Amino acid sequence: MSFYAPFTLPFIIGTTILFLVLIWKYLSWFFDLPRSDKRLIFKGIPTFATLRSLWEVVRECLLHVRIFKVDKRLGYMHASLAFGWFLLIAMGSLETIAYLGFKMVPLQGHVFFKYFAVANGITEHKAGWDFVMDFLLAVVLSGLLMAWFKRLHSRSVGMRRTTRHVLGDRVALSFLWFIFPLRLVAESITVELYGGGSFLTASFGNLLDLIFGHTLLSYAYEPAWWCYSIALCGFFVAMPFSRYMHIFTEVPLIFLRNYGLRATSRKKSYDNFEVQACSRCGVCIDPCQLQSVLNIDSVQSVYFVRDRRYNMLTQQVAQNCLMCGRCADKCPVGVNLLTLRQNSRDAMRNIPAERRYDYFKGLDRSEGAGRVGYFAGCMTLLTPRTMTAMEQIFEAVNEQVWWADRNGGVCCGRPLKLSGETDSARKMMRYNTELFRKHNIRTLVTSCPICLKVFKEDYDLEGIEVLHHSEYIERLLRNGRLTLEKGVTNYTYHDPCELGRGGGIYEAPRTVIEAVGALVEAEHNRRDSLCCGSSLANTVINDASQLRLASALTEELERTGADSIVTACPLCKKALSRTAKERVYDLAEIVAEHITK
Amino acid sequence: MALNFGYNISKPRVIDIDRNNLRKSVEIIRELPELQACIGCGTCTASCTAGNLTSFNFRKVHTLVRRGEYQGAYEELNKCMLCGKCRLLCPRGINTRGVIMLIKRKLGDF
Amino acid sequence: MLKVAVIGGGIAGMQTALRLRELGIEPIIFERDKELGGKVRNWHLLFPTFTESEAVLLPLKNRVAREKIEVRLATEVREFDSTSVTLASGEKIVVEAVVVCTGFTIFDARVKDEYGYGIYDNVYTSVDIERMFVDGKFAHWRGEEPERIAILHCVGSRDEKVCQRHCSKVCCVTGVKQAIELKRRFPKADIFNFYMDIRMFGPGYEELYHTAQREYGIHFVRGRISEASPLMDGRVQIKAEDTLTGRPLRMSVDMFILLVGMRSNSENEHFARTADLRLADSGFMQPKDLFVNNVCSNEEGIFYAGTVTAPKSIGEVLNEASMAADRVAEYLKER
Repeated sequence: MSFYAPFTLPFIIGTTILFLVLIWKYLSWFFDLPRSDKRLIFKGIPTFATLRSLWEVVRECLLHVRIFKVDKRLGYMHASLAFGWFLLIAMGSLETIAYLGFKMVPLQGHVFFKYFAVANGITEHKAGWDFVMDFLLAVVLSGLLMAWFKRLHSRSVGMRRTTRHVLGDRVALSFLWFIFPLRLVAESITVELYGGGSFLTASFGNLLDLIFGHTLLSYAYEPAWWCYSIALCGFFVAMPFSRYMHIFTEVPLIFLRNYGLRATSRKKSYDNFEVQACSRCGVCIDPCQLQSVLNIDSVQSVYFVRDRRYNMLTQQVAQNCLMCGRCADKCPVGVNLLTLRQNSRDAMRNIPAERRYDYFKGLDRSEGAGRVGYFAGCMTLLTPRTMTAMEQIFEAVNEQVWWADRNGGVCCGRPLKLSGETDSARKMMRYNTELFRKHNIRTLVTSCPICLKVFKEDYDLEGIEVLHHSEYIERLLRNGRLTLEKGVTNYTYHDPCELGRGGGIYEAPRTVIEAVGALVEAEHNRRDSLCCGSSLANTVINDASQLRLASALTEELERTGADSIVTACPLCKKALSRTAKERVYDLAEIVAEHITK
Repeated sequence: MALNFGYNISKPRVIDIDRNNLRKSVEIIRELPELQACIGCGTCTASCTAGNLTSFNFRKVHTLVRRGEYQGAYEELNKCMLCGKCRLLCPRGINTRGVIMLIKRKLGDF
Repeated sequence: MLKVAVIGGGIAGMQTALRLRELGIEPIIFERDKELGGKVRNWHLLFPTFTESEAVLLPLKNRVAREKIEVRLATEVREFDSTSVTLASGEKIVVEAVVVCTGFTIFDARVKDEYGYGIYDNVYTSVDIERMFVDGKFAHWRGEEPERIAILHCVGSRDEKVCQRHCSKVCCVTGVKQAIELKRRFPKADIFNFYMDIRMFGPGYEELYHTAQREYGIHFVRGRISEASPLMDGRVQIKAEDTLTGRPLRMSVDMFILLVGMRSNSENEHFARTADLRLADSGFMQPKDLFVNNVCSNEEGIFYAGTVTAPKSIGEVLNEASMAADRVAEYLKER
């Protein structure tokens, strides 16, 4: 039995190139990993993480469960293409076995089985297999049809906007679009001429016969298979250089992630897996407020990742992001978009001056003493109502408090880190850590979610518990140290990005609000809450744009009909106050107003 | 505690617009035209976290840069902690943090 | 007689009504408060001549009474167009024309959290100070004479951060006036005015500024205060940059006074929508033009007088009110 025909040559070449490039890429990325990452991988392989990863690969790379969660139509589109194609290959192999028994058949023998069955004189037809293969082809074609339609009209698959692509992607995409229709044509002709086929290929073959006639079809037989093979070759060669690299890369990414590898504030080889696992599906475009409110449509994560991958990232794109995390939350591949952006900024920063921040030496402007330290944060110094309220709360529970920065202190370092100046930010982190240690505090309370996040993630504060003031107050209520008088006011609560999506703190502020009044949820809340627009992560948009973002949010909050707007971040409070009709409160303020005397 | 840049003993004190090379300053203003809206009220400097600990004066630095006096600006701006208080207060709505990043980028190798 | 509605019974409304009456037209004033006089009622002495506000209000009020002009007090206007006025009670009054004299709203200093108004003791607004002068009582923290007073210009004016881009025009001279009054009242006090720009636009204003500096020794510091914080003894510590020396400045004061600006009424938006009127970016009503039609709206039969279109001084308001009445008369004749 022979499984060679000249038309398979493009396919064989394409496949060989694809696998060589893939192996070369993955191996070089792997060797470039820092030693600690490699150690994590070797430690992880013999554990459950491997099994868990396998299961995740099935769920995400084939079934696309997360995209289904974003939108069912979009999910079907991806799953039909990915899972459909996978099954087509898997079932194709089983079909070969069904016909030929367990036998070494080269790859092209499986892929072009319909051709080789005829060439090798197999005349028997298994109707069941014909049906299965036709059905799978139909599924893939339906996904393809949706993809076409999406290009024309993205709303129909549940997206307001779809990604604009670069040339390489368009080439690969064109080949991809041709693969399955060409397979349909080639198989239909084969079926028409030599029998077999099921509802799809048989009827399409009949149709072709009706239109073109038997003679023409017999001439088109070989060319049709050639075309199919060339389309496959084109796609396979373009694939590792286009967005379709994601099809394979998501697999190692899932394993590496389950072994505990993470992107960090410095670029490293692992980032390649994250960057190239991005399918540029564009799910990140819709949640982006820069797009929905300001009509900026060139900086979203999909474009950022694309530009970074092709080394054409500009400051404009890298810096123009609120880092609110709304996109990362929706990313079906789970790419760590925020960290990648941050470490891109790090790579684009100025060379830090060695002696920068030497002036921190010997500095200590703190006052008071106690086991509990309060770090207001720079922004809270501009919302003194929050600070006074905290003072009243501390007094009410007789807490001995050490005030870290009431008279001005050193910034927590997060703003600098967000702007990519990681080394310099470390200097601040080191300074503040030493300050906390020197004053021997056990608990660190802060009113600023930005500070909170950096304290929790980047500071080494072993032995010191870090709490946001909402958590601290909630704990006081739970312990019965603080009692509040419940009023009749209706509050709506705005989840600050750094506290909610950034810190996972959603319940504490809500519990506190419900202790003083009633809570009315806004349309976007918790994980889905909007950004106030004043994010420190963005140094590009101007004041007018910030104001537009803020007023869009204020309007939404006011639409709830609540009496007052409450938030738990000084920056959000300032931003919302700009256009709110009524006073905007920090959580601490409403608590202080309701303390039982 | 006088600001030690923009002039020294050997250099005349006058800001000589005729002789200063304004190319960088023009570029900076082109990228962030709102910087020209500064009315020098000093709110940024008054609230400045770094300015309260050092002689750093953002208002003065960016004004000198706009006049083509670049020397020392990069070093001065490196004292900034980028905390963002100034941006939250500026009555003219100037993107002060953007200004700092931009000047540093433009003058990094000056 | 032809009936014309005058919405608002402040000085602009009263002057408009009086002039309309002179021209043989029957005005009807709608005033939200229980009393005529508007915001001037809360003022003690007027710049630049330290004239008592009563000297302006009383003649106007007396003439309104003498002329038997119809005044509807405690009456809120819900909507209007060029031929009718609908009251909050639902009553609809048919008129020939409408003059809008609804004035302005005083900026709420609590929005500027960082200045501590409503949080710390001893932070006041310029309006509070006038009230203290009217009452003759200074609610001071220890009942002693203040030794140091800081007055901050441009609170809620020329500030993008509170969406008030415009200049409120009269605060500068008010700040100088209040500094002098405070100095007269507390001769031992050192008074510091913190400003971004000093705008002395009217007759006698620059001279008043000069007098404040020379005769009263008021200190003028060029720099906007960024934030205030409380001290243990009840005083307030303020932070600014002394921009003329280029160095940060810190100071403890017994009284911290905020010169609050004039902002547009929040009802303007509603009126603009219901009567098809144009709003300026500042939220004030937009007159047809700023020259020969500066008291006309973009709608025939609707006119403006006073601070409903922009911040103005009392003298300017009174002139404009007469002008508006003249234009109403012209309109009714030519119609």
